[in-house]
Amino acid sequence: MTAVSQSAKKKIKAGSFSLNRFGTGTQSVFHLVLAAFSLMCIIPFIFVIIIAFSSEESIRQIGYSFAPLSWSTQAFTYTFQLGNALWRSYFNSFLITAVGTLLSVSITVLYAYPLFRRDYRFRNFFNFLSFFTMIFGGGLVPTFVICKSVLGLSDNYAALIVPMLFSPFNVIIMRTFLQTTVPTELIEAATIDGSGEYSTLLRIVLPVVKPGIATIALLVSLAYWNEWFLSLLYLNKNMEIMPLQYLLMRMQRNADFLAKNSSMLGADAAKAAAQLPSQSLKMALVVFIVVPIACAYPFFQRYVVAGLTIGSVKG
Amino acid sequence: MKKFLSLILTLALILSVCSFAAADDLPTITIMFHGSNVSDDSAVLEKVNEYIADKVGAKLEVIWGTWGDFDEKAVNALTSGDKDVDIVFTCSWSSDEYNSYAKKGYFLKLDDLIEQYGADLKAAIPESLMQAATIEGAEGKGVYAVNGFKDTATQNTWDVNVTLLTELGYTVDDLMAKGFFGWDEIFAKAKEVKGDSFYPFLVEPMVAERMVTNSIIVAGDAGSTNLLSLYLNPEDVSADGIYGNKLVNKFGTPEYKAFAEQMHKYYEAGYIDPALSVGETSNDCRTNHQKDASYLIGTQSYAFGYEYSADVLARGAEIKFVPCTDPYVDTTASQGAMMAINSASEHPEEAFKFLALLNSDPTLMTLMNYGVEGIHYTLNDEGLVIFNDEARATYSPWTNGVGNVTILPDTASEGKGFRKSFQEYYAGAKGIPSLGFVFDNSPVENEMAALGNVAAQYALALDCGAVDPETELPSFLAALDAAGMEAYLNEANAQLEAYLAK
Repeated sequence: MTAVSQSAKKKIKAGSFSLNRFGTGTQSVFHLVLAAFSLMCIIPFIFVIIIAFSSEESIRQIGYSFAPLSWSTQAFTYTFQLGNALWRSYFNSFLITAVGTLLSVSITVLYAYPLFRRDYRFRNFFNFLSFFTMIFGGGLVPTFVICKSVLGLSDNYAALIVPMLFSPFNVIIMRTFLQTTVPTELIEAATIDGSGEYSTLLRIVLPVVKPGIATIALLVSLAYWNEWFLSLLYLNKNMEIMPLQYLLMRMQRNADFLAKNSSMLGADAAKAAAQLPSQSLKMALVVFIVVPIACAYPFFQRYVVAGLTIGSVKG
Repeated sequence: MKKFLSLILTLALILSVCSFAAADDLPTITIMFHGSNVSDDSAVLEKVNEYIADKVGAKLEVIWGTWGDFDEKAVNALTSGDKDVDIVFTCSWSSDEYNSYAKKGYFLKLDDLIEQYGADLKAAIPESLMQAATIEGAEGKGVYAVNGFKDTATQNTWDVNVTLLTELGYTVDDLMAKGFFGWDEIFAKAKEVKGDSFYPFLVEPMVAERMVTNSIIVAGDAGSTNLLSLYLNPEDVSADGIYGNKLVNKFGTPEYKAFAEQMHKYYEAGYIDPALSVGETSNDCRTNHQKDASYLIGTQSYAFGYEYSADVLARGAEIKFVPCTDPYVDTTASQGAMMAINSASEHPEEAFKFLALLNSDPTLMTLMNYGVEGIHYTLNDEGLVIFNDEARATYSPWTNGVGNVTILPDTASEGKGFRKSFQEYYAGAKGIPSLGFVFDNSPVENEMAALGNVAAQYALALDCGAVDPETELPSFLAALDAAGMEAYLNEANAQLEAYLAK
């Protein structure tokens, strides 16, 4: 025992010192870094809201600004006037996200559970099968051909859900989570008590791994909510089922294309550019997109925090 | 085993009955357009299908590609041999799709079909457009797409805000007499009158460069940042320019240097909005200032009748487009909007019949382009089209992307006889000496990629005058040389010589 630890022990006894505590200097540095990081996350969002409420006149004159010359709710009025198209795609986004998350999480758990069980014979094979697709993909065109011609994923909701149902990355997260939180003894005990395989999974294992499921559900629902590329690939004629994210992305891509090709297209580009939606309208749509998914975070957060602590060494 | 066999045979029987039953129905052909803004096509398609049932013997379905997603959709459909897409839009301006896709065998060669069903089409479209579509493709030399009759010549113009110019005490003639190198005084006065935050010179930098140096785009050159120039003769576009029929390094000529220096002077004096020198903001900035006519002189690649279009009329000032040269027909403009048949299509004959009808039959073209009379537009006493803005908001295809626009009726804003003068205007346009030449960049692909990166770094800032050509131009040229400009230029010139020798 050195003199230092002796004095430390004394301090602990006196209640003035904790092993988990940092010095004031260190702590303020941490606070500064974290505050800066939080600001970096939140400022763009506030900026988007300000732009959405800026008047078009102000954007035209001084560009994007935290302090616009004049305010306006015109973009939102216009968004509401979009009416059916907007609400329809809003509904689509919710539907795709809800159904997709539910199916995807079930599939992930059902795939990951056998891989976690050491007594499963084909464990290595199925492990490899999913892992392999993480490294080697089929490429865009072959995937497109299979999805469209073989699976019939074209102009329907399935086309926007099925291609993203299975993610090897999520399976690996889930498997690892099972390995670290569910002891083999628990399953053995359940078996001895007469629990069948399904009952063990549903009644014993699932309640233990809720935080893991919540983490995956968050990842998957985010991916579904933000997805627009599948719509671009598989929606051709039935634009009714377009999600909100694609509606916005299409506006953005139209503007980008016209900007890139304006010198080639000439008068046509100028005419088309004049028809494009205003900047504040785009930002209003961004607000529409961000708000619901931002609301989902606090809901999942509880489990995610639990998931962070649950895996650590206890006792 | 027997059971299994009988099951299969029964299934086969049912299937064959089904396919017989289906044979009574008309086949469906699908066409994919570019640049459209359509969310409700039901009324139009109902009429179209009624109209074409006998004439074409097929039903039509449409994929309304938009500016942003067309390229991706078309590439996917063509490379994956998607049978569900029969007709696709193609052109040579965005990434030279027409020439390269025809070479890769994605498009059907149409010569036989034209021979068989194309009499009306040939009568409706000028011979020169057929010529422009005749290229070396996968199945040999031939026509691989139906060329739309639109503004088939290029003409760059100065976009002049006459209202403001008059307010400043000048006329358009003064402006043109002084010329690009002598506008300091006028710009200074505009700044003085309109305030310090007013930028009189609203240029699209790369277009301005072509206008001042009288150079043109070479089809097949690097995409968004061109590297090659072909100099025109501004007095007579069908004669050779100052460098003859030779391609030059766009940034290496004394003409370019003079242009960049003058732009830098204007930029330094505050006549050009700095937002124009940044690729991401350039187009937005231009559109915004055009909307409320807050500029004095701009650049505009012109199409006949553009001054009558809704967005120019809405600017709230008198706008005049003053041409730099006569309109000229070059390869890029003459392959501007075409329709090709997918080589994987199962109904090529019907697809071609539809294309031929679309480009020669005013009823069908009007229906597809302007919509249904009584819903999307009405006719006034003179028989001119007045659009119903509300219905057009859900149905506005890209007019020039549909096909032969010369058979469309005149609109009220364009005035009576517009389409006829439009047709005459472009029929009279002269071709440049090397019309039809497309640079095949595949032998120098690597150089092109490297050169494109270098150009992306310097070109816009130089064209816009944001940097000093005295220091930047030499380092730009050195970087181009290091990236293989000489090899690129030699290859292009060798191809051009071979083309002209033919």
